[in-house]
Amino acid sequence: MSENTANSNEAKTLPRVSPATDILEREDGFYVFMDLPGVRREDLSIDINENEITVTGRALQGASDKESFLEVQFGPGEYVRAVSLSDRVDRERIKASLKDGVLTLHLPRMEKLAPRRIPVQTA
Amino acid sequence: MVLDFNTIYYPGRFERLIEDFFRPQPGEGRRMAFPPLNVSEDEANYYIRSEVPGMALDAVELTLTEKSLVIRGERPTEQGKYYRQERPAGFFQRVVALNVPVDRDKVRATLADGVLTVVLPKCEGCIPRKISIDVA
Repeated sequence: MSENTANSNEAKTLPRVSPATDILEREDGFYVFMDLPGVRREDLSIDINENEITVTGRALQGASDKESFLEVQFGPGEYVRAVSLSDRVDRERIKASLKDGVLTLHLPRMEKLAPRRIPVQTA
Repeated sequence: MVLDFNTIYYPGRFERLIEDFFRPQPGEGRRMAFPPLNVSEDEANYYIRSEVPGMALDAVELTLTEKSLVIRGERPTEQGKYYRQERPAGFFQRVVALNVPVDRDKVRATLADGVLTVVLPKCEGCIPRKISIDVA
């Protein structure tokens, strides 16, 4: 299977996987959950471009070379996923946490701009 | 609002479709089952690995019977207004048939970064050994 070939030349390229993602909205903003099993904290990077947040992580198989596989349903891979951000997200306060292979991104909304009156100046 | 434009295009989709069509792989149908399992062995142990992201070790129920190892649990659903839901949620169960003898008392399970690893040591008496035949 493709996993076996990936194992032999791990240093080159891992197969790219799009992680399963949930996007939902709550009172305090948007939440993005991504399944990244096997990705350690140091192998994960999150980049914000202008209006896109990109998550990249590598999962390596914890198997030694001596093992022979009887059944393979998942393999090592590189997780890549980009989510577009809207203007209503406060980029400065985005929080990310990784626990048990699930990445949680909290994208808080912008503080509501209070309505204000513009004084008219007499010329 | 968060928008995700990746539904329409993701690289390699059509290539993979054609590749899969011409090279049907064993166990392809079962890849949809959650959680995916890897089964491997070396000289001393059998290894069963599974991707169960978001599960704590005490939330995964492992049952070892005479003939099978059962992995079960429940993935909770997050509360909120969903725009996109791809992560599987709800009860899951996988049964691994063990048609080989294992050392039941030394079975260990670890969970790290969402990957469950169950190590089933082969029992002492089952490792194949050579029997010399004496000529009478």
